[in-house]
Parts: sequence; C-alpha cells; structure tokens
Amino acid sequence: MNCEVCQLKELEVESFEIREVLRCILHTIVFHRALGLIRPKDIDLELFDITYVQCGEIEVEKKIDETIEHFISWIDKHPNKKSQICVSFYEVKSKQPSWFNNKQRSYWEQWYVNLNVLHQTKSPSHHSKLVMDTGETSEERSSRRTMLEQSLQEVLFQIIKFVNEKKDHVPPINDGVIYCPFEITMPSSSDSTFGMDIFKRMLHSGGHPSMLS
Amino acid sequence: MDFPENLPSSSDIGRLEQIVSHFFPKALHIVLDSRIPSLQSRGRTRDRNLNLKKSDKWFNLIMGDRPAALDKLHSWHRNILDSMIIDIILIRDHDHAETVIERWVVQYENPLIMSPQSSDPCTRYQKVYKKAIILLRSLYAQTRLLPAYRVSRQLSSSLASSGFEMVYKVSSFSPPVTETMTEFRFSPVEVPPGRLCASVTYRSDLSAFNLGAHITLPPRIITDYVGSPATDPMRFFPSPGQSFEATSSFHGRAGRGPPSERPHSWTSGFHRPPTPNQSFSPQFSPDFHCSRTDGGDQHQLSPPFSPSGSPSTPRGSNSPRINVRPGTAPVTIPSSATFNRYVSSNFSEPSRNPLPPFSPKSTRRSPSSQDSLPGIALYKSSRSGESPSGLINHYPAHKLTKESKYDSGRFSGLLSSSGSPRFGFSRSPSRLSSDLEDPDCSCPFDFDDVDESSGGLQYSQSLDRRKTSSSISQSLPIGRKSQDAAVGVLVQMLKTAPPLRQDSSTYMASSMSGVQREGSSVSGTESEFSMARSTSDALEELRNYKQLKDLLLSKSKSVGGATRVH
Repeated sequence: MNCEVCQLKELEVESFEIREVLRCILHTIVFHRALGLIRPKDIDLELFDITYVQCGEIEVEKKIDETIEHFISWIDKHPNKKSQICVSFYEVKSKQPSWFNNKQRSYWEQWYVNLNVLHQTKSPSHHSKLVMDTGETSEERSSRRTMLEQSLQEVLFQIIKFVNEKKDHVPPINDGVIYCPFEITMPSSSDSTFGMDIFKRMLHSGGHPSMLS
Repeated sequence: MDFPENLPSSSDIGRLEQIVSHFFPKALHIVLDSRIPSLQSRGRTRDRNLNLKKSDKWFNLIMGDRPAALDKLHSWHRNILDSMIIDIILIRDHDHAETVIERWVVQYENPLIMSPQSSDPCTRYQKVYKKAIILLRSLYAQTRLLPAYRVSRQLSSSLASSGFEMVYKVSSFSPPVTETMTEFRFSPVEVPPGRLCASVTYRSDLSAFNLGAHITLPPRIITDYVGSPATDPMRFFPSPGQSFEATSSFHGRAGRGPPSERPHSWTSGFHRPPTPNQSFSPQFSPDFHCSRTDGGDQHQLSPPFSPSGSPSTPRGSNSPRINVRPGTAPVTIPSSATFNRYVSSNFSEPSRNPLPPFSPKSTRRSPSSQDSLPGIALYKSSRSGESPSGLINHYPAHKLTKESKYDSGRFSGLLSSSGSPRFGFSRSPSRLSSDLEDPDCSCPFDFDDVDESSGGLQYSQSLDRRKTSSSISQSLPIGRKSQDAAVGVLVQMLKTAPPLRQDSSTYMASSMSGVQREGSSVSGTESEFSMARSTSDALEELRNYKQLKDLLLSKSKSVGGATRVH
C-alpha cells in the first residue's frame, strides 16, 4: 500500500500561538480520519476567527494535547528553529495483538505540519504566554496575526483538499475502531529521543487492544 | 470487516441506493445546521450515543436529532437524480436586498451509459460508504471554514440588529448566481452506476455587508401588515412606496403574510440563546470505546441500512414547503433573479408561491401551480432577541379576527416554545401532527395542502420547467394568470380610485373649509371635485372602450378583416 504524504504550508507562529494552531491543524487531520461513529465537536479558536472540528474522542484530544505540550517544551529548549510535526496513520498488519512492534506497522498516510516559531527578543519582562515582546509594533503584530489567520485557513483548506483527492489509500475501517491509529512525531528534531518519548507515550495512553486488531 | 464476502450483488445495489438517498438529507442537515440557528439539532450534547436514531448514524456522523423542518425539506427530494441546491442568502433589512452568499450543490450524476466501473466487483458498498463518509467529513469541516459560518454566528449572537438576516432556500433548480464567487468542488465519490458530487460556491469576501457594525434599529411598526395573499387574494396591497418596516423586537418577526411584493417566507419562531462558543462536549467515557465492539449494525462501517434495501421513502408530503413561522418580517424582495417565488410589483400575481403558508383550509395550490415552481422552499433564520408580542401589536385588527383561529394557534405555539431549546412553529390545525416525529413540535408546513398536489414526480416535471424562464408571468399557467391579472387590475383600480363618497364628503368639507379660508368659492371647489371624479370615470370608460375596440379589431383581422371598426 502506498503511503500518501501531504506537506502542509509553513506557518510562522509565535510561541503563545503554537497551542491553538497545532490543536486546530492536528484535530482537523484526525477528524477526517476518524471514520467510526463520532459526534463532531466545533471548537472556536480564541486567537483567531476560525472554527475547527474535533472528532469528539477524548483519547484523541489527550494525545494531541500531550504532543503539543511536548512540542512547546521542546521549542522552549530549541528556539528559532523551523520544526516539523509528522502525523502518521498506520495499519498494523500483524495478526498477533502486539502492542509495540513498529516493524509490523504499515504507514499509509503522513502529514507534515511545518512551523516556524518566530524569534523572540529577550526583554526584562520575561515572556508570558499571552503578551510577547517581539519587538513588533502593534500594527505589525495585528497584520502578522491576520496573515497567520489567513495562512491557517489555507492550511485547513489544504487538508480538506488532500482528504478529498486521495481516498483510495485509506484502509477499511475495522469494527470498534473510531479513528485510524496514528502517531505524532517530530522527524526533523535534532533531539532524537523526543520522538521516542512521544511514541512511548502514545502507546501507553492510546494502546488499546482493539485498535491493533 | 463485518460483512461477509458472499453478499449478493443485488443487496449491494440496494445498499448503494441507500447511500445515495441518505447522502442528501445528511448534507442538507450539515449545511443548514451550521448556518441556521433555528435548525440546529437537539441532542447534540447527549452524553452517550444511546438511543440514537438510525438516521443519525448514517455516515458515522452524529448530528443530533434532525429537526422536523429538515425532514420535510428533504422529503420533496424524491428523485435522486435531481440536484439539491442550498442557497444561503443575506437579506438587508432596510431595502430587503438579497444576496446569495453561498450555494451548495449536491447531485447524484447518473451516466446514461453504464460505465465499466459499475461492473467492477471491487466496488463494494463498504468502500463506497467509506469514501462517502470522508466526503461528508470534509463537507462538515468546510461548512465551518467558509465565511458564511462566521456571518451566521454573528447574526445569531448579536443582541442588536445588525441590519441583515440570513435565510436559506432549498431547490432543485436555481438560476446561476451573477456575482463573482469562488467555487470548491468536493471530489466525487463513485457510487455505481453514477457518482455523488458536491460543490460549494461562495463569496469569499463578505466585508461589504458591514456585519460587524451592530446598528441598533428602533422597533418599527409594520404599517402594511396585510397577511397572506393566499388567504385573501383580493386584499388590498400597499404600494411599493410605503415602507415595510420590520419590527426588530419580535421574536422571529411578524411575517404572516407579506404584501404582494414579498415572498412567502417567514422567519423561524425560535432562536436559541446565543452561545459564544458552540462547542459540544459529548463527555465520552473511556469504556465507551469498548462497548461498541459488540453488536452488528450499531457502528462503524455498517451504515444503518433498512432491511428492504430500497431507497428510503420520505415521510409526509412530497412538496416544497414554506416554513411558516410566526413573526417573519415582511420582506420586499425586489429582484426575481434567483427565484420565481418572488413577487414583483406586479400585483397581478400576488400568490406566486404555491405553498399557502397558513391556513390549512386554503387549498390554493393546484397541481398546475405546483408544477410551475420547481421544488423550492424558502426558509428563514431567526434573529435573536425578539419577542413575540410585537406580532399581535402590529397586526391589523380586522385581519386578526378573520384568521384569529390560526393566528392564536401560532402565537401560542410560538410563545410556549420560545423558552425551550427547540424552534417553535405555528400549530396549524391540520393533520400535520401525524407527520411529525415529535408531537410537541408543531410543524409549520401545511402538509394537507401539499398532499393534494401532484405527486412524487414533480421534480421530473421541474426538469422540464427549467427551460422556462424564471420570470413570474411565464411560469404561471394561463388560467391563473388571467385571474391574477384581474386581481391586479382591481387592485390597481383601488389604488388609483378617488376617495369614497363619505370620505370625499369629509374631504370636500375639509377642503371646503380650507378653501373658505383661502377665499375661494365653495361651489367652485365642489364642482372641481365632482368634475375631477367624472373626468376620471370618463377616462376609465374611454380606456375600456379602447380596449374593446382593439379586441374587436384584432378579432376582425383574424377573420379576414371584412369589417372595419372605427
């Protein structure tokens, strides 16, 4: 089975915007791959005039939130880097319900979320999440915010387009499975253990026997 | 997979048909749920997915209870080959200018020639269903992304009037929109022997509507609130020059009967309390995930197919409906570009819309008029913060007594439901209740009138009608036209007629007194006035004679012109 890859448009974000932007993008991706019976959940972003859709599964929400927290802490340690978050959907081919055997995983889709976390000038008032002193004027900030909002919408459109264009590679949905199993990694991270940490967390929190059937 | 490999193909065909037939109402539900607050589903925030209706499980997307309005909307879409066009329209309050800001088109394209794909044994319904699920997921996400979503939220949440109203129109045919719009086509899903297609055309820039500016309008009185032309076609209609002022304090606005210029459309009687964040928290518990592993058709890939395997037949009647919601603002729709339900200033056709809005007894709709409109129903969204009391205040007294039975039913229905998280409709004293899922929800749609009209193939007829222009006069049957023309002439006469004798006497008296003050002679005024009257009479007579003459001339010409009539 071929693995379809989608590279999403790069977004320039400030660190306090990361959480909302990532949540929006990651949930939108998973929503389109949660093909079991779901009750969709509309979420309004606070920083932007955008509403996105969650699949409504708490496990998915937890997974994504944990990833985002890890990513933010990684960004804090490695500022000024272009980073990439990869969402990989896989199928477990092995008939034995093993829950850690990545050799048996067959990846059929990968999404790359490209972020460029903006440089923050150091200021005496150390950065809070809400008010960032990046050396911008308020006009620059609002125009950048508007650009980011537009770009974020474009990314969401990109996701919808990709989901529409490529459907054949999506594996059949198994009973009892709400969403296609996925993992979120950061392949471009210089810190190689980061991905493994995420991976292990995924398995501990999301490794449900029925998912691997 | 939970389906055995050796399913007979005929069952597959039946399931494919069901996929198509259920796709339309689901798409309709998704679009209107996100645009029209009054049509938002109940039960979205249920904690558990228990007691889910089968219809809600389709495409694995729980939307909550489908409002009865949507069921009725969809029930006319019987021919799956017909397009379903959903227009989202913004109406400006002060001049009632309409703009289509979004158009969703869902269609099942069925090629006449069987394509090779249809014989492909690999086209199992499971794959088709999976792709249809994905398509609807993306459609759902798209509804949240497009500008109309924000507009709808703004309109529904603003306490003050923003000067606009969002309405929707569902039809199987609409003339193309002239404005420059952006189009997005969802990738079609092959459903043998055809394919499901969906697209949306939208205005990407809605800044021209100044929706952000919350203009508080003072409550205005509807001075020309005349009720429905359906109930009294001979009713006097005001001239276009008079102001149609809508009360903004009304919960859903008074809209029993628009004057002749208005379409037969009514706002909903209910508006949900505005919530800034419309997120739903289903509160699934972790073990819910496990609970779905048992059972057959309850979940996942298996759509809730009905045992018969045939396309589900719609309940109720088969015709487009008008959502008769009390308190719609009388709206003047000057343009008839999109929709021949609009009545222009030509008073001769006051009742274009074949759906009598109110009285179940007014069976105006004849099969011919039914056919004249390809399945079109117009619905309106409600505005927030409006109370029902305004309607009664603004309604002329004599008309109230005439239709008090109906009105009171509506008002009570509205009032009682205003606080509840459902939209309130008028309780029309008809057999609607039998068609409703929820007996407490009185439905505005007049099924009895609709039921009497011609049956399910109206949309194949509508296909023929597509060739006709959208102008009103052309689509009216001839007999109706003459009747309406007569009405129009009468109305015109009433408009232009001089005052009645009584009034004229008072007029004369007042004019006399005024004249006396000015110093002119009384008799001169009186004679002037009576002269004016007789002159107008004479003119009228002359006109009539001229018409007769023309008629005779034309007839004589047709017989060979032997007779010359001077």
